[in-house]
Amino acid sequence: MKKFIITLLLICLVLSFVSTICAAQLRFAFMPGIADPFYFTMEKGAKAKAEELGVELLIGEYPKAWGPEYQVPILKALVARGDIDLLFTAPTSTEALIPVLKEIHDSGIPVITVDTYLGDGDYSKPSNYNFPLSYIGTDNFLGGQVVAGQLALLLGGKGKVFLENTNPDTSSVMNRELGFRAGIEIFPDMELVGVEYCLDSQETAVAQVSAALLKNPDLGGVFGVNVFSAQGAYQAVVSAGLEGAVKIATWDATETLIEALKRGEVDLILAQMPAEMGALCVEWGVKYLNEGAELPKKVIPGFFIFTQENVNDPEAQKYIYK
Amino acid sequence: MAKSSNDFFIDFEKLSRNRTILLVGRNWAFIFLTFMLILFSFLGKNFFSLKNFNNIILGVSSLLLLASGETFVIISGGIDLSIGFVMGFVCISSSIIMRDLNAAGYSPIISMMTGSLIGLLLGLIPGFINGFFVAKLRVPPFIATLGMWGIANGLAWRLCEGFPVGFLPLQVRDIGNAYLAYFSPKKGFSFLIKPELTEREDILNLVKVIPIPILLITFILIIFAFILSRTRFGQHTYAIGGKVDAAIRAGINVPLHLIKIYIISSFFAAAAGVLLVFKLNMGVHTQYTSSYELFAIAAVVIGGASLTGGKGTIWGTLIGVLLIGTLNNGLMMMGLPIFYRYIATGCILIIAILIDQFFPELVHRE
Repeated sequence: MKKFIITLLLICLVLSFVSTICAAQLRFAFMPGIADPFYFTMEKGAKAKAEELGVELLIGEYPKAWGPEYQVPILKALVARGDIDLLFTAPTSTEALIPVLKEIHDSGIPVITVDTYLGDGDYSKPSNYNFPLSYIGTDNFLGGQVVAGQLALLLGGKGKVFLENTNPDTSSVMNRELGFRAGIEIFPDMELVGVEYCLDSQETAVAQVSAALLKNPDLGGVFGVNVFSAQGAYQAVVSAGLEGAVKIATWDATETLIEALKRGEVDLILAQMPAEMGALCVEWGVKYLNEGAELPKKVIPGFFIFTQENVNDPEAQKYIYK
Repeated sequence: MAKSSNDFFIDFEKLSRNRTILLVGRNWAFIFLTFMLILFSFLGKNFFSLKNFNNIILGVSSLLLLASGETFVIISGGIDLSIGFVMGFVCISSSIIMRDLNAAGYSPIISMMTGSLIGLLLGLIPGFINGFFVAKLRVPPFIATLGMWGIANGLAWRLCEGFPVGFLPLQVRDIGNAYLAYFSPKKGFSFLIKPELTEREDILNLVKVIPIPILLITFILIIFAFILSRTRFGQHTYAIGGKVDAAIRAGINVPLHLIKIYIISSFFAAAAGVLLVFKLNMGVHTQYTSSYELFAIAAVVIGGASLTGGKGTIWGTLIGVLLIGTLNNGLMMMGLPIFYRYIATGCILIIAILIDQFFPELVHRE
């Protein structure tokens, strides 16, 4: 029996060596923030780039809800296999993920944060969270300002607008709100008449925007900060019969929202570039590991604005999340 | 000793002999609702208007269905935590069927009918499994339905992969947002068909009476309220919740009855899911943060049911749901931030449970 166990252990040892040697290709891991179209699109972009560059890509299980309590256990299981060359992830908390990712970094796995960041997202100055190679993601504040400007353009620079937000405890959507507020303030004849939080429930968003429409019969526009709030907002406008009269701006170019834009129910969509973010993570990870390239500490891939005019353009199609 | 405790506590026996207090105690939720309606009419701009009442009732329409199903379960002494996610699962499944049939070139009517019917049928399965585990295998309802809570949610996620299901036939939206009658100062009365209006002023002045989804819900509620209050099935439900042993001795087939009750609860959740497709014009999975099941249970308790079983009515639940909806809407129309609304809903729930706990003689005196 003893012999048998020793032989078995030896075989395992040899096999593990063999597998390490065989796996000369790079192995990256991607840990998404939550199961939603945005991260699915990011995965697709990363996968395509990984195939092109011959990198094996492991995908962590998608957390069902937003937050470290959901993400950290999956993340730990993902890196526990110990043969990962690089990790890119969207930390679900600017603070709680610092020690977790630091530990992974210290165990020899370089980390890139994508879409969301640690601390204040500035890894170029000394701090306890400046260890990631880079932050690749969107500037939500800037995006909020862009939406405010585009909405003002649609409304002729005047009128009342309403903001339908999702979770008051998430940095990305709160930054969109702050950016939007700042953007609206630039226009002296525009007024933000209210902000509501629907906690990602479309049904709640419908109720909240319906109430806002009733309170402000002359409302000119609504900005829904993500898929759920925007779709709720446009449903409320539709059921009030005011489609076209109330302009709806939104964030994230999912196929359903693009369809709504084509039908004229939504007027403006700001698309982030999740596929590009994913591809950039893989591409720069390879450059860093193979060529020792220095990565910029912050990369913002930019936005694309969908409107009625350009939604059918062939070159715009690649920005739709699929 | 006995005397001092009597001095300390309120004498419920004496109180319950007072007819006014008895009446208030039994109908506190209704009285509170009326009070709120008056208060908000003064405080909130445009609160007291037909449009806003439509908004309130449409806003709680899924909750109303879920809570009505939950009423049966709670009366029987159980609890069903799976309803919120069964709703999401059915919403996703029936919208996928509608989308795919529509894409395959079937007529919108056939796509919508098939999607709704299959959705409703699918919804019976979780109820049967819940009931089977609770009644036959004697798993505590809390655990059995919590299991289904996860399964239904996981299935919904798997089916839609996190994307809302869109591309439904356009008629879905038209039906879900239709009203029984319209009155426009410009175009006069019309039934079911919304008058074509282009001017914003005219759209705002359009009077819409009775949303179609609410009409259907009322119809379902009347049937089930009748079943609960006037049939043997209803009596048995109360009997099981009151005293299981007595119910068994009385010859009631308790396991079979419990299975039926969980199927009813699940059916209501499925109906809410199908309704949601028509209301939102797309399929959405239930968010973790929505806590539909908890608000449904809250509404049932506010409506006078007891979590220990044996008490409760559909009409009580209706009042409970309206109370939650009106409170939310009223505070929203007043412009109060969302955080205070949570606090307010929590306070109302605590009041309801306190009344149920400490004044049972007052509320549930036979």
